[in-house]
Amino acid sequence: METLNVLLMGFISVVLINNLVFTKFLGICPYLGVSGRIDMAFGMGLAVTFVVTLSGTLTWMIDNWILMRFGLEVTRYVCFILVIAGAVQLVEMYLRKFFPPLYDSFGIFLPLITTNCAILGLCLFLHLWEIDSLVEAVVRSFGAGIGFTMAICIMAGIRENLELADVPACLKGAPITLITAGLLTLAFIGFAGMIR
Amino acid sequence: MDKVKYFFRQSWLLIVASFCFGLLIAVANAAWQDNIFQNEEDKFNNLVKEMIPDANTTEIVLENVEVRSGKGKKKVTSVRKAVSGDGQCVGWAFTCEGSGFADKIKLVLTVDAGFEKLKGYGVLSSNETPGFGDKIKEPYYRRQFVGAPTAELELVKLGNPEDKDSKIVAVTGATVSSEAVVKIVNTFLGRIKNHMQEKGLIDNGN
Amino acid sequence: MATNGQGSVGIYRGTLLAGLWRENPVFRLLLGMCPTLAVTAAVKPALTMGCCVIFVLVCSNIVVSLMRNLLRPHLRILMFTLTISTFVTIADLFLKAFQPEMSAALGPYVPLIIVNCIIICRAEACASKNGLAISVIDAVGMGVGFTITLCALAGVRELLATGKLFEANVMPGWFVPWAAMGMPVGAFVTLGLMLGLVNTITGKKN
Repeated sequence: METLNVLLMGFISVVLINNLVFTKFLGICPYLGVSGRIDMAFGMGLAVTFVVTLSGTLTWMIDNWILMRFGLEVTRYVCFILVIAGAVQLVEMYLRKFFPPLYDSFGIFLPLITTNCAILGLCLFLHLWEIDSLVEAVVRSFGAGIGFTMAICIMAGIRENLELADVPACLKGAPITLITAGLLTLAFIGFAGMIR
Repeated sequence: MDKVKYFFRQSWLLIVASFCFGLLIAVANAAWQDNIFQNEEDKFNNLVKEMIPDANTTEIVLENVEVRSGKGKKKVTSVRKAVSGDGQCVGWAFTCEGSGFADKIKLVLTVDAGFEKLKGYGVLSSNETPGFGDKIKEPYYRRQFVGAPTAELELVKLGNPEDKDSKIVAVTGATVSSEAVVKIVNTFLGRIKNHMQEKGLIDNGN
Repeated sequence: MATNGQGSVGIYRGTLLAGLWRENPVFRLLLGMCPTLAVTAAVKPALTMGCCVIFVLVCSNIVVSLMRNLLRPHLRILMFTLTISTFVTIADLFLKAFQPEMSAALGPYVPLIIVNCIIICRAEACASKNGLAISVIDAVGMGVGFTITLCALAGVRELLATGKLFEANVMPGWFVPWAAMGMPVGAFVTLGLMLGLVNTITGKKN
């Protein structure tokens, strides 16, 4: 029962309180670039969730069971990025072979995910937070993906309406998106301190 | 055989580069590892010296002390003895950690030689809100722990911060961070005190 | 390679200046946003991050430029990634060894340089197609442009959030710090407004 509690708290903490986009500034590039349509944003978010859960788990396993045991911690960054790149390749090949319609709907997002700071960032945070059980690592990775999806969908929804608003010419595009993101961050600060 | 040849022809650069880069990283690591270790030691020792001016060095006395921090999590720390220039024990120090408002807070807690009163704490790392939770690094809050008894501390919102008792007045606008510090101290202090008494490093019945 | 001396100097100067303003990585190309928002709470971490990026950019551009004729097309990105992550590891070790407070302040954002779009984009767009000299100058131009942008943003945020610049008191006594500038809100909003400003300036020039 207590483990379930820990897992649930970990999940909520990564989705709401330590949201990767709003508090840790990860995944901003696709966040700005994703078009202002909720369905595309949702697709991107799902792709990221898929990849991040897979890479988070894999890198946690490699980090704890191989790197730390043999003192190879200095190669951590190289290993992580190679695993992530490999995982994305694998996912792409797997999807293309077995789920072609799903692959088509992900479109260009899948290869772009490799350079998404959120994935590498989450793997590094899993190490920083000193997560010591595999299940918690899986839950937190999944939570990170869900948090990212939520952030992107909220943003896409707002941008859909921003199209109709009278934005000054110099602020059109990236600037107004950033300012909106800032205000969203302010809203999310309300969740901080929820979990002691 | 053809397939192996093809594989090597395509990827020889990758393999050679991996070796070279691995070597580069290994050399850099070997060259700087001592510096990195020394920096961590210095950070700890400097904080201890800030609170126990007589301390010259610190020596590890107890390793791998396990502390249960609730929610089924266990933290491991080690206790160090602060020794003065002439080898006298002038206090004890250990690292402790717990979750704060934003992220983890890591503290160095120092206690006097008899384990009777706290000599204060120093913040090793924290990510609290600048201007609010960050005030746990400032003298107003830290001063209250100097001379406080090594018993269960209590956080209060109003009171006299100058009193050297077990009531700690919270920082205005940073209740969660203040409470986190008190909770960390309470969790670790009792457990470490028991451990030290068991190992006979301090007198029983204090 | 350029044919005559005057032409090559012109090309070099053009490449250098491009990175500083016309193709400024943050303001014009909108690359490398993540560290821009994360480390610009104060000028010193921003400067440190900028220097790390310059180091990694120059080294990886040199290596990629030297290797450019040996690269297989489908293993190219893998080679870039390997090169960049090696140099980032070295930079991280260097920081931990010689600048521990900055390393702690920057935290996980130093390894995130690996996925910083700037470096991969420059390796792909410039270093894999051009000679050594141009690659180095391009790297320096982009890196310096990035550093100047970071410091400008950090300067504004630090000044308003704490009244200090580079940890020295600058603002007069009656100034009440805007704590929000030190938090994510300040980062996003300041960057957005600065982008808007840059758009206005370049819009007026056209």
